[in-house]
Amino acid sequence: MTDLLIFAIFFAALAAMNFYRLVKGPTAADRMVAADSADILISLAMVLFSLYTGRGIYLDISIISAMLGIINTMLVGRYLDKGRWLYHAEDNH
Amino acid sequence: MQKTRFPAVVSTFIVSYAFWILLTWSFSAQELAAGAVVSFLVALFSARFFIHERSFWLFNPLRLLIALFYWLGVFMVELFKANWDMAKRCFGGCKKVNPGIVKVPVDLKSDYAQAALANSITLTPGTITMDIAEEDGQTYYYIHWIDVQKPSGKEAGDAIKGTLEKWLRRVWE
Amino acid sequence: MLRIIIDVLIVVGAFFALAGTIGVMKMPDTFSRMQASTCITTMGVIGVCLGALLYAIFIMGSPSTAVKVGVIAALVLTTNPVGAHAIAKGAYQAGIRPEKRMETDDYRRDFDE
Repeated sequence: MTDLLIFAIFFAALAAMNFYRLVKGPTAADRMVAADSADILISLAMVLFSLYTGRGIYLDISIISAMLGIINTMLVGRYLDKGRWLYHAEDNH
Repeated sequence: MQKTRFPAVVSTFIVSYAFWILLTWSFSAQELAAGAVVSFLVALFSARFFIHERSFWLFNPLRLLIALFYWLGVFMVELFKANWDMAKRCFGGCKKVNPGIVKVPVDLKSDYAQAALANSITLTPGTITMDIAEEDGQTYYYIHWIDVQKPSGKEAGDAIKGTLEKWLRRVWE
Repeated sequence: MLRIIIDVLIVVGAFFALAGTIGVMKMPDTFSRMQASTCITTMGVIGVCLGALLYAIFIMGSPSTAVKVGVIAALVLTTNPVGAHAIAKGAYQAGIRPEKRMETDDYRRDFDE
């Protein structure tokens, strides 16, 4: 039983290691990549912790966290791209 | 802007209703009715982004079977090999990198097939599709490659895509 | 026996996640760091979710947990490349370049000049 808890703590520690790049990274893209990786690692830790405790609520939180991480990444990427996609969409149709 | 068509709404409704059932996984009448209403509204607003060409290509069982074999068999092997290569690079001190951006021709025609190939290439560690351009009727991908071995063109395309393109053509065309 | 299989799957996921984290921390330029972070979101997610799926089906015996774990894996695997593609193109268009100039760079040749 405890091995699941140990793995969950290990994944949380990996997410904390990603925060080094989040603080230090020279550009916005570096910070966003580190934040996205940390988000997915936290989701995985939450899956394992949910199996350890046997409560389903952590799985729902994990799904929401993964979805919001993807949306954040896409928004920052499109912002760095100077919002150019809006004009492309209107040209094509 | 494209107009919303009725068959596109139906197929989007089926997909989002299946997703609702998977997420809730309870079969009481109230939850099913609420899911039907919500996924019909979602389908009404998002069908024109989701479906562009034929509406019911997703529900052909033979294609679904081939697509399943592609994702679980062929693609997983490629994924594991690329991951192993990347892990060796990372544990070896991150010094053996030779990054660059190459331009690769692609022969697929359908929108879905192009999107699936671009996503497969991005999902394997070591290659990221950055942009898709079209020149003279030929589609080109710009791919960031962490270890450039061959110059741009057909050879680099063979080294990156491998057999993925053949399988995707079998699924979608 | 089943516990050993589950533990091996989770250890495989943890190994690749560790590799990706080290890559994110130590790789020399922005785009290489993106490549390393892909390692976390593919093999790490597949290993851990496969192990969790087996655990939920055979030891906990609850199908709703298994379905939710499967949905997490499918969701991350299908949506992550979209985000990676968006942020790679956005970073390049915003003028972020590696310090050492890349030897083959067709994107700069076609779009910058």
